[in-house]
Amino acid sequence: MSVPALSLKDVSIKRADVPVVHGVSLDVEPASVTVLLGANGAGKTTLMDGIAGLARTGGGTVELDGHRVDKLPTYRRAQAGLAYVEQARTVFRTLTVEQNLLVSQTGDRGPEAAYRLFPELDKRRTLQAGSLSGGEQQMLVLGRALVSGPQTVLIDEMSAGLAPVVVRRLMRAVTDLVELGIAVLLIEQFAHLALEIGSRAYVLRKGRVAFEGACADLRDDSARLHAAYFGTAQPHGGPGPADRPRPDAAESERP
Amino acid sequence: MVNSVIAGLTSGGVYALLGLCVVLTYRLVAVVNFTMAAVGAMGAFVMVSLTDAGVSAWLALPVGVAAGAALSAALGAVLVRWFGGHGQNTKAAVSVALYVALMAVGLRLFGSTTTGAHSFPRPFDAPVFSAGSVVVPQSALVSLAFAVLITAGVGLVLHRTRVGLRLQALSEQPSTAQVVGIAAPRLALVVWVVIGAVTTLVILLVAPRLGGDFSTLGKLINTALAVAMLGAFRSLPLTLAGGLVLGCLEGLSAAVEAVQQYQGVVPFLVIVVLLWWRSRHEVWDTAHSR
Repeated sequence: MSVPALSLKDVSIKRADVPVVHGVSLDVEPASVTVLLGANGAGKTTLMDGIAGLARTGGGTVELDGHRVDKLPTYRRAQAGLAYVEQARTVFRTLTVEQNLLVSQTGDRGPEAAYRLFPELDKRRTLQAGSLSGGEQQMLVLGRALVSGPQTVLIDEMSAGLAPVVVRRLMRAVTDLVELGIAVLLIEQFAHLALEIGSRAYVLRKGRVAFEGACADLRDDSARLHAAYFGTAQPHGGPGPADRPRPDAAESERP
Repeated sequence: MVNSVIAGLTSGGVYALLGLCVVLTYRLVAVVNFTMAAVGAMGAFVMVSLTDAGVSAWLALPVGVAAGAALSAALGAVLVRWFGGHGQNTKAAVSVALYVALMAVGLRLFGSTTTGAHSFPRPFDAPVFSAGSVVVPQSALVSLAFAVLITAGVGLVLHRTRVGLRLQALSEQPSTAQVVGIAAPRLALVVWVVIGAVTTLVILLVAPRLGGDFSTLGKLINTALAVAMLGAFRSLPLTLAGGLVLGCLEGLSAAVEAVQQYQGVVPFLVIVVLLWWRSRHEVWDTAHSR
């Protein structure tokens, strides 16, 4: 069996001295999408922050391609091949599109690779990133992750506030990353969209892994998905994991 | 009168340089650096102590500049290592505390206003030209040229080089900069080293004219902060212009007998007028609510 691109063993993380993630173990295989699901407050973003080094892990190990990285600072993990698409569309607003890409370029893969992934950005290369629409900013953050030459990309809720058509565009780009041999760990509010492109799924509940298995198992069984999210059977008409983006959902175009 | 304005221009160049260093430290590593002039004064006094002991000025100069750079790096390392995750207010407060400590150590080592005046080398004292009673000293041109060079050079580095782009990214979003692989602590330390070296050179430039005691030189941070405010802690060209305007106004006020004794108030009058002008369209409740 090949070495996982990213492997977590018994990872615990605290936020402001409050334990949020408890003994999580998961593997992300190379050239595949692993989906991380869970209700709000389950600890998904904290876990991502812990993997990237933005939150300190209190126990356990994080390995990238078989090498331990949990003691390394954030930038050394990035240099070791880990890219992180944070939740809040974190472009460098005062830099142009091209400059945003140049900032993270480490190897041979230059801005052109990002323009191939998102031709929309090519026309905007001299514009300040702060003036882009929400969808374009998210494309830029994904493109910036690509040009950093990663082996593993963490993606946290990239669809938040975006129109359905843009969300689908971004999901296609994620599968393009996989075709380039990149491993992806994906948090997504629209569970079924993520499960369509993912191969393996983990569901977090109260900071612990409540489900681990193939995406297909959850995709075809919404009751099981609901039970994994909340630990109970789905009440009739009750709240559940978001299914797909509503066609009438408005895109947030706030620059 | 014209002579006073030209003398003011010499100070103006130096003020602009000090203001530029404050603005750069703030923009690139997000610290309002109160220690800057004291660090430069330390480097300058290391140099002058060596020349006093008979060491050649050409050897003492790089040693002094290196000392200023090393001290600045040490202070920067403290701020990066222990206060990296804190807000700007905390960092500014720490830099004030370090400034007080540095001034105390400096006064102890190098003497006070009355006892510690050293004779600094005066390489740029000769006049470039004189027309009638108006004399333009080399120091005026050197400080002006240095200030213009730094403004233009920094602008080029920030916008045209990979390191400059990374510095901008770091100043805008420190945490995301690290996420994309920018070695933030190392880059911040480089900024501190460069600021320390440049400040030492600037203090060496101005020391002969200001009497050459540690206290006066360390307290130049007041004027530097005033100039940085003129540039809104952001714009390099505005900071450059602000330094020159402040220097000229100071020269002018020295020449007019009626306002001579209020010379020290000039920077603060300028700041008050400027702050009022900038905030003329603000609605108090929205602009100043927390």
